[in-house]
Amino acid sequence: MGAFEWIRLIAGSICLACGLFIFFTEIFGIFHFRYVLNRMHAAAMGDTLGIGSCLLGLIIFSGVNFTSLKLLLIIIFLWFASPVSSHVLSRLEASTNENLEEHCTVYPDLQTLEAELAGREARAKEPDGFEEKGGAL
Amino acid sequence: MLYHYIYLTTLIILALMLFACLIRAVRGPRVADRIVAVNMMGTMVMVMIAVLALMLNEGYLVDVCLIYAMISFLAVVIISKVYIGVYEERLHRTQSADDTAADTEGGMSDGSI
Repeated sequence: MGAFEWIRLIAGSICLACGLFIFFTEIFGIFHFRYVLNRMHAAAMGDTLGIGSCLLGLIIFSGVNFTSLKLLLIIIFLWFASPVSSHVLSRLEASTNENLEEHCTVYPDLQTLEAELAGREARAKEPDGFEEKGGAL
Repeated sequence: MLYHYIYLTTLIILALMLFACLIRAVRGPRVADRIVAVNMMGTMVMVMIAVLALMLNEGYLVDVCLIYAMISFLAVVIISKVYIGVYEERLHRTQSADDTAADTEGGMSDGSI
């Protein structure tokens, strides 16, 4: 094997190993978190970054042909599909769970949330000039 | 030959992680847990199909992988929508039954998932 073949083998293997590591992190997050909306955060990572890295390694292995073009099409499709399915799943969880307040803060309407955020900003600005100094640094 | 061993190792690791996903899908306390686990399993099976396409040197398996991605996305969206509809219909029926006849309903409204 020439030098180019070795570079292709090593680069593809590194991408594939990164993808497998991200899948492992996804499994770890699925078993580590306690609630679905937290678990979804870990699970959505593998849909884009994990499969993207794995298929990038396979594209490097495959070279320039139609197979790698189709693999790229799969990556691009999952970039669009994964946020949509995550959104639909979180809407399912939020609309069917009766005691959602045990797990996270629920705001009944948008005005309450905006009032609380405005109050939090005012409290953060109030104490003394430390924030300005930190911001300047 | 080296490529063959790399593909084989990847497939074995993915199969082990697929079993971990299956455990979460069986144990998951809520419906959304199970759907998330099944979505993850779909993603891993997509990688397995793509690895097999290069390992067996069959280009058409990548087409299968693309169709698998689309059907997996469609399944998640449709199952979620159907479940929301079923839940709201059951809730509405329970509330109307509570309003009209509070004492005549049996075990219909336990609300278990």
